Amino acid sequence: MHVLKRTGWTVFIGMLPALVIYIGIALVPIGMSFYYSFFNWDGLSPMRYIGLDNFTSTLKDSVFWKGVGNNLIMMATGLLGQLPLGLFFALMLNRGLRGIKAYRSMLFLPVVISAVIVSIIWGMVFKIENGMLNGLLELVGLGSWQQDWLGNPKLGMLSISVAYIWQNYGFYMVIFLAALQNISAEIKEAAVMDGATGWKQFWYVTLPMLKETIWVTLVFAISNSFRVFDLIYVMTAGGPAHNTEVMTIYMYNNAFQNMSFGGGSAVSMLILVFSLIAIYAANLLTRRSQ
Amino acid sequence: MHTSRFKLSVVHAFLAVLCFLNVLPLVWMVISSFKSENEFAVNPMGWPKLWDFSNYANAWKVAHLGTYFWNSLYVTVLAILLTVLLGALASYFISRFDYKFTKWAYALFIIGMTIPIHATLVPIFILMKKIGLLNTHMSLVLPYTAFHLSITIFILVGFMKSFPKDIEESAIIDGAGVYRIFWSIILPMTRPALATVIIINFIYNWNEFLFALVLINKEPLKTLPLGLANFTGTETKFQTMQMAALAMALAPVLAFYLLLEKQLVQGMTAGAVKG
Repeated sequence: MHVLKRTGWTVFIGMLPALVIYIGIALVPIGMSFYYSFFNWDGLSPMRYIGLDNFTSTLKDSVFWKGVGNNLIMMATGLLGQLPLGLFFALMLNRGLRGIKAYRSMLFLPVVISAVIVSIIWGMVFKIENGMLNGLLELVGLGSWQQDWLGNPKLGMLSISVAYIWQNYGFYMVIFLAALQNISAEIKEAAVMDGATGWKQFWYVTLPMLKETIWVTLVFAISNSFRVFDLIYVMTAGGPAHNTEVMTIYMYNNAFQNMSFGGGSAVSMLILVFSLIAIYAANLLTRRSQ
Repeated sequence: MHTSRFKLSVVHAFLAVLCFLNVLPLVWMVISSFKSENEFAVNPMGWPKLWDFSNYANAWKVAHLGTYFWNSLYVTVLAILLTVLLGALASYFISRFDYKFTKWAYALFIIGMTIPIHATLVPIFILMKKIGLLNTHMSLVLPYTAFHLSITIFILVGFMKSFPKDIEESAIIDGAGVYRIFWSIILPMTRPALATVIIINFIYNWNEFLFALVLINKEPLKTLPLGLANFTGTETKFQTMQMAALAMALAPVLAFYLLLEKQLVQGMTAGAVKG
């Protein structure tokens, strides 16, 4: 049928612009990153093939492993901070409460603010002089606790974690809220008839019904924790002395500060591998527990 | 089952306190932005003794906010137009035509939602340099479009698929071509989903930082997040002026959010939430 054939071409041509931009700028570069990672290259002089040297030198660098450790802290922050807090607020709001919309709007608000603005604001909150946190401590008579929250090597990542939780828990809250509202009233009533109320109902009825949603949020939280960049870059740029550096910042510094495009590409490949491993591990763990 | 009135008011009080704590950093910032630098140094917490608006005028000038606003708006709007137009067209073919080719294309677009942009940064920088787009608005418009086509197509295909099968039939009998059907029938019907897609694209593009950091280093071309990060990094002495700049940068997003919250939340969580 020649009409269909003609439509086939029309369809192809219609999709072409979207495909070209998408493949050219989103997909092909991943392959190019992989390719670059085997070369010594500053973007100007000729590329020199060096095999796995970029990878071995990165894996030998203690600063890189500091970044990996901090990424794990960000992951734990997401999994142990953002998800439970999101679930908690979703459960709080999932009842016939007046003003639920206002509460939800306020709790979700940080999600739509740019990470740059979030980190500048939190940078001011944590500031040693005239910072909000130190000011609050003074007000409640805990002035002796005041300190340089981001500069302290022990507290730097913890402070960043607080800002990271603030920025994102609302996202998970909304996801959980939607899932909770999909649980039918009949199931809850049946649970109450069987004597399951409060914690029991949550543990034996609600939580199992959220399994699918929890899995999705786990994957989101893990992959997001490997992508954190703006928040830390603007707040501390990874300092002081690499104390708050994460892999993406290490990658950026490598590629665009030291002009080592091969080295930077190798790090970006490692980030990809690490986050895939983390997601795979989470998959194994949750399957085993089911 | 009725929760007792007492218990409800406890829940309300509890939630109100937590919500207040949640927005406290923002409230503190806005209040402080009306203080002079001197007053802020002496009294960083409480209300300003004198509400001083001069920080706003100064910040607008010193921080070049006007330039950054304009750049952000230009890049954001252009990228939205491109993303939504090309995305809608692709979604139409994917959702209404049953070729093997369209299925493959859909799968390809969906993969994009999992790509970490960091893995593409170096090649995109080199690409933009080679084609001479480095330090132009287009160097941002193209990546923004490429990376947001995935979520755009995901949402639009889901919506267009729900239209009844025979919707195009009479149009075909009347002799309308494929593009005519897209433009006069499908696109108008897709309006609610288009709104969602435009809103989330706006938020993503307006807030983007990493591409701007790598691809733009000329002052007159910087977008709002890049310009702000730069400004607060250099003018560290003038905190209340910085706060005024932040408040101004925050205002449009805040207004946008409060007006269009429902569609924004729907869009941002699409894919994670079914239905």
